Amino acid sequence: MTAVRTNTIEFRVPEAVNTISQRSLGIGLLFGVASLIFALVPATREQFFHSYLIGFMLWLGVALGSMAFVMIQHLTGGKWAMVIRRQLEAAMNTLPLMAVLFIPILAAGIPYLYNGNHEAVGGFSGWLHPDPADKHLVEMSKSYLTVSGYTGRAVIYFAIWLGLAFILSRWSGEQDHPPVRNLSPRFRLIAAPGIILYAFTISFAVIDWVMSIDPHWYSTIFGFIFIVGECLSAMCMMVIIERILSRYEPMASLLKPKEVHDHGKLMLTFVLLWAYFGFSQLLIIWAGNLPMEIRFFTRRLYSGWQVIALGLVIFHFAIPFLFLLSRPFKQNSRSLVRLAAWLLFMRFIDLFWYIEPNFHKALTFHWGYLLDLVVPIAIGGLWLALFFRNLRSRPLLPVYDLHAQEFLEYVGAAHD
Amino acid sequence: MKDPLIYGMMAEFDNVNDAIIAARRTYAAGYRKLDAYSPFPVEELAEAIGFHKNGVALVCLIGGLLGCTAAFTLQWWINNVSYPINIGGRPLNSWPSFIIVTFEMTILFSGLSAVFGMLTLNGLPMPYHPVFNVPRFELASKDRFFLVIFASDKNYDGVRTRQFLEGLNPISVAEVPS
Repeated sequence: MTAVRTNTIEFRVPEAVNTISQRSLGIGLLFGVASLIFALVPATREQFFHSYLIGFMLWLGVALGSMAFVMIQHLTGGKWAMVIRRQLEAAMNTLPLMAVLFIPILAAGIPYLYNGNHEAVGGFSGWLHPDPADKHLVEMSKSYLTVSGYTGRAVIYFAIWLGLAFILSRWSGEQDHPPVRNLSPRFRLIAAPGIILYAFTISFAVIDWVMSIDPHWYSTIFGFIFIVGECLSAMCMMVIIERILSRYEPMASLLKPKEVHDHGKLMLTFVLLWAYFGFSQLLIIWAGNLPMEIRFFTRRLYSGWQVIALGLVIFHFAIPFLFLLSRPFKQNSRSLVRLAAWLLFMRFIDLFWYIEPNFHKALTFHWGYLLDLVVPIAIGGLWLALFFRNLRSRPLLPVYDLHAQEFLEYVGAAHD
Repeated sequence: MKDPLIYGMMAEFDNVNDAIIAARRTYAAGYRKLDAYSPFPVEELAEAIGFHKNGVALVCLIGGLLGCTAAFTLQWWINNVSYPINIGGRPLNSWPSFIIVTFEMTILFSGLSAVFGMLTLNGLPMPYHPVFNVPRFELASKDRFFLVIFASDKNYDGVRTRQFLEGLNPISVAEVPS
């Protein structure tokens, strides 16, 4: 063992991120004010909430996916995780912001999201005011899909997520102070049940928030598609952040091609899983060909929406997959970061494809789709500002963690 | 002067860092025909002896593409040409249902070609290898790291190569009989 390095000043986040943080906040506020105008004008309020749900699900995904990775790394260990652990925790600690950002949906958004879509052709009844002739839906809207049920469950989901994030973050903070300890056994006690809880709560949450927009349609793999999407978003965000940080010390000497390679491999894993689950959903529903189930795809694979669907197959799966097969591509954070940014954009397109076709039968130019870009940028700006603030509040490594000491020894050994 | 009875010179190290540093210095000294042995995979050691790429990835890719094409073509041919049959009113070329078998065959072919490609390229199984003539070499599967410079290297010299290796902080240096 080399001498223990415990100088936390050495691992402070570089001042340079302050600029990025301030710019993010500026962009967030600017786009936020623009979004707010659309929210206040009654004629555009409905579209605002559709866009808001897309943006909310996108950034909630980055936060929750990061929390999932925090728990996974406490269970598996590994140098790939140590080098991004503090970034993952900073992303996880944006969950309070996401909880606050859910309030507009609860307070005002429900009538604009869950009231169905009464088009002359192909319309459907929402759970908020169901068609009286639809006995099954009327029954559901009295038992499970009620406003109070929706609100109560949302409170439970956020309570669980915030509780997990609080404990994981607090214990991690203990590792900024001496003595050097191995807290992994204690972390495992919360991480193992935490992952199971995350899988259940996010499944129920996306059923409430996204799937219930069309209340008759259901897919049992829906939650897993979102879990995989969230983990992909989180890993892409980490690759972007580590690229920014690696231009300065201390990350410049902490980040090695081997760990970047590991992050690239995880991106490949989640790109493949996303395609696998998405295709499973298509295959089962297509083979069954039942009216209630096939409706999801007849809306999304015709009338212009097939362009987006095909685009997802090519740009969310095929092309990233081919790039990620290459070993030198994954080892180089300069090339990997471009694909990560691209995939994060494709995550947005994926959510757009899941949510917008509920409200528009055909894909033609609609001014509202511009708002679909504005609102996610607004939320993203605020999210990034809080993320960098969280990141600056702690050293970039939990230096009093036994595994961080092992990691430092490894980084030192790789120097000579 | 090459002695056909000599396979090379072997140095033994008791920790991975010494082995990596020794391998880098050996490579830097101009030796190219060398090999390293360790009880567990050490990527830096492989890089240090100048081992960057091998053909297994390419063989695996070709195998995977072959499996993919074969599986899809087979199903398409059966359902459209050889024995067209109406299944629940679906089109004959119902490609979504072909994907599962295509996917599995891609995995199977790339997996098998990776294994057999690896065996072909590294020459295994190999019943006789000269490094085992050095009795201490059995420690390579326990806790020791070994570096061998082959006698076929153009810079190899029985005396100077031994002196060079002895300068790299090894536990022992031994000549490997062929």
